[in-house]
Amino acid sequence: MTKAVLGFQVWRKNMMIKTDIQIHAFRAMASPCELRVECNDPKTVWQLGAIVEAEAKRIEAKYSRYRDDSMLSQINAANGAPIEVDRETAGLLDYAAHCYALSAGQFDITSGILRRAWRFDGSDNIPSKNDIEKLLPLIGWDKVIWEAPYLTLKKGMEIDFGGLGKEYAVDRALLLVQEATQRPALVNFGGDLRVSGPLRGEKPWQITLQSVDNHNKRDGVLAVTQGALATSGDAQRFLLKDGVRYSHILDPRTGWPVHNPPRSITVSAATCMEAGILSTLAMLQGEGAEDFLSTEKLRAWFIR
Amino acid sequence: MQLDSKKHKGIASALSLVTAGLFAATGAQAQINDDPVTTSPQPASSSVQSGTDFNDDTYTDEGLIRVDAAILVYQEDGGRVQAIEPVVGITYNFEDDSSLSLKFTADILTGASPYGATPWQDTQTLFNPPSTGASGSTGTVSTSDVPPDILPLATGFSDQRYSVDAAYKTPWGESNTLSVSAGISRETDYKSFYGNVGYAHEFNQKNTTLSLSANVEYDISSPRGGHPTPLSISDGTTFNLENDHKTIFGGLIGISQIMNRRWLAQLNYNVSTSSGYQTDPYRVISVVDPVTGGPVRYLNEARPRSRLRQSVYFGNKIALWDTVTDLSARIYRDDWGVNSLTLNLATRVPVTNRFYVKPGVRYYAQSQADFFNYYLLDGQALPQFASPDARLDKFSAFTGSLMAGYKTSRTGEIYARITRYEPTGKTSTANAPGYLSGRDLFSGTASTSMIVGYTYAFK
Repeated sequence: MTKAVLGFQVWRKNMMIKTDIQIHAFRAMASPCELRVECNDPKTVWQLGAIVEAEAKRIEAKYSRYRDDSMLSQINAANGAPIEVDRETAGLLDYAAHCYALSAGQFDITSGILRRAWRFDGSDNIPSKNDIEKLLPLIGWDKVIWEAPYLTLKKGMEIDFGGLGKEYAVDRALLLVQEATQRPALVNFGGDLRVSGPLRGEKPWQITLQSVDNHNKRDGVLAVTQGALATSGDAQRFLLKDGVRYSHILDPRTGWPVHNPPRSITVSAATCMEAGILSTLAMLQGEGAEDFLSTEKLRAWFIR
Repeated sequence: MQLDSKKHKGIASALSLVTAGLFAATGAQAQINDDPVTTSPQPASSSVQSGTDFNDDTYTDEGLIRVDAAILVYQEDGGRVQAIEPVVGITYNFEDDSSLSLKFTADILTGASPYGATPWQDTQTLFNPPSTGASGSTGTVSTSDVPPDILPLATGFSDQRYSVDAAYKTPWGESNTLSVSAGISRETDYKSFYGNVGYAHEFNQKNTTLSLSANVEYDISSPRGGHPTPLSISDGTTFNLENDHKTIFGGLIGISQIMNRRWLAQLNYNVSTSSGYQTDPYRVISVVDPVTGGPVRYLNEARPRSRLRQSVYFGNKIALWDTVTDLSARIYRDDWGVNSLTLNLATRVPVTNRFYVKPGVRYYAQSQADFFNYYLLDGQALPQFASPDARLDKFSAFTGSLMAGYKTSRTGEIYARITRYEPTGKTSTANAPGYLSGRDLFSGTASTSMIVGYTYAFK
């Protein structure tokens, strides 16, 4: 019996410290989404969760290219006529214009129509040179007339916020949470995420990185105290012809896939938008992705 | 605001300014403040094995109503699970040899149980299972910092279990007995419904009894926070909130034989097949670095959805002088790879005509399940199933018990029993990586239990 009593005391001395995290989960933007807040009161997370969910769905409804009633669809349906956009959209267009300039044309919100030629289904359906060349005159932010608040797209051109929208929603949702509470929180929309500070003021959030191959072999856990993570890449999306693997990372300047990009890149940055743009830009460097990440002195994780 | 990449050293720093501009209108960034650390009760799964044994060498109660009341206290060493279990039973014995009994059991469980993770030299942070409900999309998860060098335990769980059992037995014809029984049990995250029908036939001048019985059980598992995806990373994510189920069908064939005036022998064969959810939703398995043995991540455990169990039991009751000795052996095997042997010896010794003692010893040994592992190695392909549950480990155990009873009247008795259980792990960890090498990773624990009860029969 002495042994038992001793064991009990040792255990008491090492009492564990617990941190409660409340979760609100929902689906939006074709992804599982969640808010995590450090608190032990379900009502708090319910209220904050409602704010986050509403913001995600608001942004989705406004900028989804799959919804005919979205503002984005109205812009794309203008058929060459100028369209007056609201302040939020103007802000995003300015942002996209900066990204276009900074990346020397590699990040381009008009490049989405390349999807008409490229279907990344693992098949060998490589489009012809002719198919691509027909599309190139409709691609290029430099062909767009953007004089805020008026946007004029050439007939046949389209824009989308594919590389921006989800990340923007994460940043916006976290800002709304921070306005409502000072508790540490994490907003995660389909793997693009941002935290508002460490747990208990000191402990990092443990973020699981799911690997792109199915065997969980290279999964890892990242410790994040501040800022955002965004991931680009998807090993399931590629084309294979004559032994050549065509990645789904398309260079808008040529219309063709970049050569040999990593399978996935996760970048850490202050905001989710930065992390998202930077992971996309790193991908677009193809073989030079690692060089880009180290030149830019970014915290990043990639899988080749 | 116009920005030009040429004015800036890198894209990242330029982007950071642009992004700040975009959000400038939205409001200042909130300060991060500490919040008080809170604790919440931790669910854990741990089945307390306790048998409340009332039918201990009592005489015929024909025409009487018997009431049993007992309380069991169970305590695992090292501040692990503690259980308090009150039991009340009542049996109506009718004049025609039939009987109806009802039993009510409550279990109050508190304490700590292993996460399943292996120990490590530094503090580990583990996700606790959600403590609130499988309803709605909002749940609570908490993390725990586990101190270095000890088996990681989830502390502070508590649960209550309630069960009701009913049984009816009646003679049928000259030499047959029919019995039916049924019960339900429920705890916060588990419900169980079970039933049994039995038939016994006496022949050979009532010296031989053939018994047949069949039983069925249906269990509903609704763990707090849902069922985790097997072998997914344990990060508090809620999954599969729907209930899962398990169905068990079992059968028994037995023969008992009066060998002579002092010896009764019994041989049983038991088979059962269970299908459905048999994984422990609250248990994880560590994936460790193949060199250091340090934790890389934690996966939710996974077990097969079916299990076939078979056992053979050989029991003897031997009366010598005025003592009665129970001597039994049981061998068991299942298709998870667990084989076990149980040997049991207990002797009831009358001290006076009102007072008796019954010392007993039991030895138990089992092999490990095929998919049992203390840990998985990082960089290796995942197996289909894996569990670090001590109940699937290779171990042996000794149990010592002492029971004493005092007859307060012809039909009344007060009794008490104390039991000590000591298991020892037998799996070698000599080849385990780094820190884990040679360490005792067996997560089973010794326990002490005590039961005090009173039974009385009246007209």
